[in-house]
Amino acid sequence: MIKIKPDEIALLSKYIYGISGISIDKSKAYLLETRFSKILEEEGCSSYTDLYHKAKGDPRKRIEHKIIDAITTNETLFFRDGGPFELMRHKILPELIDARAAKSAGSPNLRIWSAAASTGQEVYSIAIIIRELLGPSKDYRLKLLGTDISDAAISQASYATYNKFEIERGLERSKLTKYFTSAGANWKINDEIRAMASFRKLNLMAPFTALGKWDIIFCRNVAIYFTLEDRKKLFNRLADVLEPDGYLVIGSTESLTGICPRFVPKRHLKSIFYQLK
Amino acid sequence: MHSLTILVVDDDPVTRNLLQKRLVKENYEIDLAENGVAAVRQLQKKRYDIVLTDLKMPGGVDGIGVLETAKEADIKTEVILITAHASVGNAIEAMKKGASDYLEKPINFDELLMRLQKVRNTKALIKNASDLREAMNVTEQTSAETIQHLELLCADFQARLERIQSILNDTALAPLERVTRALEI
Repeated sequence: MIKIKPDEIALLSKYIYGISGISIDKSKAYLLETRFSKILEEEGCSSYTDLYHKAKGDPRKRIEHKIIDAITTNETLFFRDGGPFELMRHKILPELIDARAAKSAGSPNLRIWSAAASTGQEVYSIAIIIRELLGPSKDYRLKLLGTDISDAAISQASYATYNKFEIERGLERSKLTKYFTSAGANWKINDEIRAMASFRKLNLMAPFTALGKWDIIFCRNVAIYFTLEDRKKLFNRLADVLEPDGYLVIGSTESLTGICPRFVPKRHLKSIFYQLK
Repeated sequence: MHSLTILVVDDDPVTRNLLQKRLVKENYEIDLAENGVAAVRQLQKKRYDIVLTDLKMPGGVDGIGVLETAKEADIKTEVILITAHASVGNAIEAMKKGASDYLEKPINFDELLMRLQKVRNTKALIKNASDLREAMNVTEQTSAETIQHLELLCADFQARLERIQSILNDTALAPLERVTRALEI
């Protein structure tokens, strides 16, 4: 295996930061080797510097996409860490539906954004809860968007097909048989759930105001890969696009203390969500 | 590691017994079923790590039926098909339906043992990954409780500080009154 040199660690870390906002600490430099050695081989690169130049010089950004797919962590499960989904079911959705119904005479709008959707499990878990709680979508207008920086993750999310390891944990058998159809060795989300969601590629470091305003934002376990400064900026920008009575859900081990004073934490059962001050 | 349990399904008694003899010697735990129907009955009663089944069998249930029942009963059960050379195409179709491997007749035992070792290794890896995930869940849950507790505590202190600040800045009150009220918060 080709070894990465100290100056290459600096070079690549800076490059990765530039294309993704992901900050790789020097102590995690081994990640570069374990995750990039395959790309090095595939691209026939003689060194990490060579890879860097090839990636920079590729106008179609094919290598850049490969690097992003390799460096992003797609650890996600259906209903990962049950808390946020119980929160959706018992607190956020009922409250929001009431609030929106009181505001407008027609069917209420629900706009939900999963800002680090990875391979789609979070988005489909949300879709399943909405479906179970509110039934088919004649009484509400839903916009459920999942975004992620990784092309590979977004394409799997759109394809809505999961292998047995991806569905084995977190998903009850009853939900599996109700909302999935077996497709050979894999499982495919049923069309009625698939149709509720849309996916697109987005780098959270880039502007996202064009996506509009949101009633609920899920931004779980992604800011942990950013620098403190970037985390502050990100949550501040999320505050800008959240409705005044909207809800923000972050990862269960994340904190906004000292990051964004515009949000106040609120507890419901065993989970915390955030609202604007 | 505990020995893996294997259900051997074959309508030919000679093959069945030969497989049993060889696999028991290798420390696998073996049950036998003489056809697909018997296998289905057995799969509904007991969980197996591996099902080793003939593809073509008389009666209403063939190897594909056994595969489907096994996967239905426990998705973690691995199914290896045994097939005549002429029906390799069917075996490949079966792999698309979730079978993990196939063997051609006549059975080469070295090859069979190698395939079983492969399944054993994969299962060990899966267990390892699921143990790790379990450990991560426990760690994550414990830290989440601590962090959330601190998060609420900090928010509460912050709110109190802001109240104190606004009272201390309240020029409508006498300085001593401001301090007294601030101390009450």
